[in-house]
Amino acid sequence: MSSPSADTVARRIVDVSAECGISLVASLPDGWITSLISQYAGDARFRHVAVNREESAIGLCSGAFFSGIGTFALMGASGFLTCIYAITKINYTYQIPLLIGITLRGRPGDRAKFHRSNGLYLEPVIAAIDMPFIPIERSEDIAELATAYRHSRVMSRPVVVGFTRAVLRGEA
Amino acid sequence: MRFEDCFRLLAGRLKDDIIVTSAGNCSELWWEITGETERVFYLEASMSLASLFAAGIAIGAPERTVVAFSGDGAFCMNPGMLLVERQLALPNLKHFVISNGVYGSTNDLGHPFAELMDYAAVAKAAGVERVYEFSTLEGLGQGLDDMIKVPGHAFAVLHVDPLGRHLPSPPLDGPEVKFRFGRYLERTGGAPIFDAPLRPK
Repeated sequence: MSSPSADTVARRIVDVSAECGISLVASLPDGWITSLISQYAGDARFRHVAVNREESAIGLCSGAFFSGIGTFALMGASGFLTCIYAITKINYTYQIPLLIGITLRGRPGDRAKFHRSNGLYLEPVIAAIDMPFIPIERSEDIAELATAYRHSRVMSRPVVVGFTRAVLRGEA
Repeated sequence: MRFEDCFRLLAGRLKDDIIVTSAGNCSELWWEITGETERVFYLEASMSLASLFAAGIAIGAPERTVVAFSGDGAFCMNPGMLLVERQLALPNLKHFVISNGVYGSTNDLGHPFAELMDYAAVAKAAGVERVYEFSTLEGLGQGLDDMIKVPGHAFAVLHVDPLGRHLPSPPLDGPEVKFRFGRYLERTGGAPIFDAPLRPK
């Protein structure tokens, strides 16, 4: 279920994605991004691929770099943490750009106790592998998605953008 | 069939296709036989992602045939890849699984699922329509064109013996693989990949 505000935010994220050159989105759901995934899936500007393992999104999007396609790998925080090997072995070894979008699970305001591990370790792990990280904490930050996409190509490495719960619900 | 004979046949027949090789023996043996540095992406340490990496290439290059090689160890790690491949249904994606029953990149240590798995049956159960299985050089030679040249996503199991010897990895650093491969695709009609195109004088 999504609120009108969440749908508006999702629409904005989708529009920014299209405008910066993204046309392939590979995703695995998180409860916070179901509206966003639905909008990508229903938008003719994108080819949306529902993968069944977050690492598969990394593999698919990394390959698509070589066909000149702009890509976005979208997933939850926990799924992102399962991708560290794929990211460091593929994207770091070969210097393949990739924009990854994640939920900032475990931050204050997340009421799910089972995400406390993300609250403790998600951002430290991102920092530990020196991955550029751009948090999207307010609606006006959504435009930073395009900056992150461009930065990934400039740096020839992955960049991760993290969406807060408040932003995705249209409350920030 | 012998792994080396199998790859020699494939290298001799797959002359115009884009190749993605997975970690270990696939990359090492393809390198030893061909020494190719442009149309091949040696995806070392791929850990089951070679076919989806290849799928990403195939999505944006419908005029090229993209051939992926996975090991059976990789397949067992991520059989869900077949569901994504089926969903994509890319007519130019051809996926081989090398079934030799060992982890070739780690001294041919036997893997515990070799006797249990029927990779072709798994592919069929996942809904992949064109599934092949080759146990002999003769059979591979006869069936290869149907798999590769007839449009449509296809999956094949290559039953080979363990290589039985250690081979060196391709002597290319990651960025060199990236640029050789990417520039080759650009030069041979692919979409622009890099922000700065090469314009040789």
